[in-house]
Amino acid sequence: MLSLQHISKYYQVSGLKNYVLNDLSLEVDEGEFISIMGPSGSGKSTLLNVIGMLDDPSDGYHYFAGHAVHQLKEKQRSALYKQYIGFVFQAYHLIDELTVYENIETPLIYQDFKSSERKAMVADILDKFNIVGKKDLFPAQLSGGQQQLVGIARALIAKPKMLLADEPTGNLNSKQGEEIMELFRKLNREDKVTIIQVTHSEKNAEYGTRIINLLDGKIASSKKL
Amino acid sequence: MIKNYIKIAWRNLKRNKAYASISVIGLALGIACGILIFTLITYHLSFDTFHKDSDRIYRLYTEWHDDGIGKSNGVPQPLGKAFRNDFTIGEKTARVINFTGTLITITKGNDVKKFQEDNGVAFTEPEYFDILNFPLIKGDKKTVLVAPGEAIVTEKIAHKYFGNDNAIGKVFRLDNKVNFTITGILKDLPNNTDRRQEIYVSYGNMDEYTGNKRRENNWGGVYSGSEAFTKLKKGVTQAQIDATTAQLVKKHYVGRDLKVWFFKLQPLNDMHFNPELNGYADKKYLWALFFIGLFLIITACVNFVNLATAQALNRAKEVGVRKVLGSLPVHLFWQFIAETTLITLVALIVAIGLSYAALPAINHLFQSEMDFNIGELSVFVVLTSIAVIFLAGSYPGLVLARFRPIQALKSKLSQKDIGGFSLRRVLVVTQFTISQVLIIGTIIIISQLHYSQTADLGFNKDAIVMLPIPKNDKATLSTLKNRFTEIQGVEHVSYCFRAPASQSNNTTGVNFNHRAEDEHWSINTKTADENYLATFGLKLVAGRNFFPTDTTREFVVNESVARKLNMKPQDLIGKTLSINGKSTSAPIVGVVRDFYNYSFHSEISPICIMPNYNGYSTVAIKMNMRNAKATLASFEKVWNQTFPEEFYSYEFLDDSIKKFYELDNTLLTLIEAFAGIAIAIGCLGLYGLVSFMAVRKTKEIGVRKVLGASITAVLWVFGKEFAILLLIAFVIASPLAYWAMHNYLKDFQYRIPIGPAIFFESILFTFVVAAITVSYRSILAALANPVKSLRSE
Repeated sequence: MLSLQHISKYYQVSGLKNYVLNDLSLEVDEGEFISIMGPSGSGKSTLLNVIGMLDDPSDGYHYFAGHAVHQLKEKQRSALYKQYIGFVFQAYHLIDELTVYENIETPLIYQDFKSSERKAMVADILDKFNIVGKKDLFPAQLSGGQQQLVGIARALIAKPKMLLADEPTGNLNSKQGEEIMELFRKLNREDKVTIIQVTHSEKNAEYGTRIINLLDGKIASSKKL
Repeated sequence: MIKNYIKIAWRNLKRNKAYASISVIGLALGIACGILIFTLITYHLSFDTFHKDSDRIYRLYTEWHDDGIGKSNGVPQPLGKAFRNDFTIGEKTARVINFTGTLITITKGNDVKKFQEDNGVAFTEPEYFDILNFPLIKGDKKTVLVAPGEAIVTEKIAHKYFGNDNAIGKVFRLDNKVNFTITGILKDLPNNTDRRQEIYVSYGNMDEYTGNKRRENNWGGVYSGSEAFTKLKKGVTQAQIDATTAQLVKKHYVGRDLKVWFFKLQPLNDMHFNPELNGYADKKYLWALFFIGLFLIITACVNFVNLATAQALNRAKEVGVRKVLGSLPVHLFWQFIAETTLITLVALIVAIGLSYAALPAINHLFQSEMDFNIGELSVFVVLTSIAVIFLAGSYPGLVLARFRPIQALKSKLSQKDIGGFSLRRVLVVTQFTISQVLIIGTIIIISQLHYSQTADLGFNKDAIVMLPIPKNDKATLSTLKNRFTEIQGVEHVSYCFRAPASQSNNTTGVNFNHRAEDEHWSINTKTADENYLATFGLKLVAGRNFFPTDTTREFVVNESVARKLNMKPQDLIGKTLSINGKSTSAPIVGVVRDFYNYSFHSEISPICIMPNYNGYSTVAIKMNMRNAKATLASFEKVWNQTFPEEFYSYEFLDDSIKKFYELDNTLLTLIEAFAGIAIAIGCLGLYGLVSFMAVRKTKEIGVRKVLGASITAVLWVFGKEFAILLLIAFVIASPLAYWAMHNYLKDFQYRIPIGPAIFFESILFTFVVAAITVSYRSILAALANPVKSLRSE
């Protein structure tokens, strides 16, 4: 489903190339649940952003669902990722001015779903995540765990094939974190969503089907569970 | 999608109330000024545009080319008739001769009502109403004013004189001389016409009214109330017009007059804008207003851009999330345009409210009766709104839409990403340049007006009351004078034509010392008795005052006469002066110091003062103001006993002199208001900028304080920035203001110099205002606890 070949990302600082990703290659199949680990500065988040097409690599080839991403224009890339990818953040990144319902609805608006369709889809996912009662609240009125739940619901609303999560449990306590991980596992197993998460926690990493360790922008080790 | 945009825009505004109100107030002020200025400009441009074939309508006017060029909107009385009878280029030509300050008497049984109309009574040829579109609502247009003794009046006048009675067939008496029967009622005059007469009477009664048959054939004099209008035939060329007027001169003048007299045609659409020919104001003032309006709207937009982009950092997260959720830059762009639209619409509603509230004040200021023309105005409002939305909204929209999502989400956006600090600097400099130009303008106009109202005019204008003299037979005048002199508090009494400075003047050709050729300049004649000098405090520089007499036996002239003749004042004494076509000749016995006989807009004329009881129309009384009320009451009593049939009115001389500067005062009030608004908008922008700076510099201030910086040192971080910006604005504004005000002052013959003090005052004022604006927010920032501000990083 995803293929990264010889991907490099560097910043030029006074003539010297400062590598964040260094000639990294990675294949991901549909249905995998990958946990990326590594010390600070090893390039985890950059890798995730490159996969999510939020960041351009400096070098290398990037294929996603049969498209050569490195050759696509901004607009096509945006269309591609709108259709296939959902994003979950450590800081949830809900829009403060929108209610729970409206936050979840937003991606559908950008994908030109009709109003009636949107209603049905949002109602469906609110039900599935058990947050129907919270739909008219604003993010500030929710706990961290609940906010992250909304964040995940929002990432999944358009039925993406792949979910990218950047330390999704980083701001949560361990119990809330566990619930989120259980939810990821269920999504991966029952709904066949491909998941790539960045995490610092060994325990959370083990929910995945593969653990990749990054060091200095390279894959140091890769272990199937 | 639109609903979503509007919803989030609304919630954002609610959340950032301060930002929203600053933006709304700024825009509303700008747009309100725009609406008012637009209304003012369209109102003035609409003057006399409602006449049919208005492009073919002209007024004949007179020019004299001698030492200089003189112009008058009046023409010799026979000119209109000659133009109509002897030439073919005019389709219709009409003479209209207006007399102001006339008395109308209406007798109904024993009941006598007296009226005085400021706009006067016009002796009018019936063709006037074929040329200009003032429709009759009663009476037959074919016959009115054709026979002598007829009059037509407007509905307003008819109602004023006769209430709800039918005015047709009613009789009124003009100046106790001639009776007129009303045969037609005119529709009330529209506001946008300069032809303000509301009472028209048959031209045939002119001679009877003036008691002087010579006027009808007098080519040598011009009374400014004597006008002639013509509607030219289709396709008449300028060459034909020139040929006609040249022939008119050739036929009716001889000798030197052939080179002096010129007649020209002034198009209808020039009349409102040509002050030289009695028009209201030069078009350049409209242009100045247009640019002020434009600048105010630009300032408001600049303000908005400034605040919105400063605000953009707070929106960074939202933009990042939206991008991650699949929004394209174009979506974001339109989202922010939607937000701007919302703000603009709110501002527009506020602006419309403000305009409605301010219109009566503007009307009062201009003594006009403007109204909003909903049709034109809505086009203007819609276009302005669209312009404002895109001018103000697109830049912040583009900036926000350009954000890189990852950086936006991590709050790692730098100033570079939001258009940089330098852009904001440019914007603030623009705003302050505009306000400083206006401030300098205000200061200069104030100084000039102050100068003209307090400078030594060369005569005394205080505590002098002017009363009209409707009849001047010798017996009445001498009794009246004695009775006035007896009133307590009266210091001097003088009969004269008008005060030393007046809008009503007589000018004539002059011959000095029996020279073969007349002088190439004309002299302003002031008819007055021997008390004139004492009453108005005119100072003799040579010779003596003339002796008391009823007719002109001696002259007193002013220094300008000596200057024109290139002689010393004392050398004029004893020389003969001849005026009015040599019909009056007498020796010069005294020379008075020059005094300003017009406003400071005009040069001091050569003047001669001479007695002649026939020419007296005013009595000037220098009084003691201590018991003014009782003294004024006595004047009225004495006057009414002397002239029981006439209409009493009085005016203080200093009030009538103030009227010289009416337009300047109006301009001053306007420019003060606009400068105030420009400064207000500028300060809103400055406040926005300093808030933005305070947020951006939180960390820097925290670090500085930890390193031991004092509060004042921290404040200097802000102060330095703004001091530099204001100085730059000042450097740009000064030459612009100098240029504009230099042009304004050119209209004054006697004017203040534009000195450095004016610029110094301006920048000082701006500095104070800016410092007040900036200080609150920066003190707040300087006082913040560094531990707190550093932790938040």
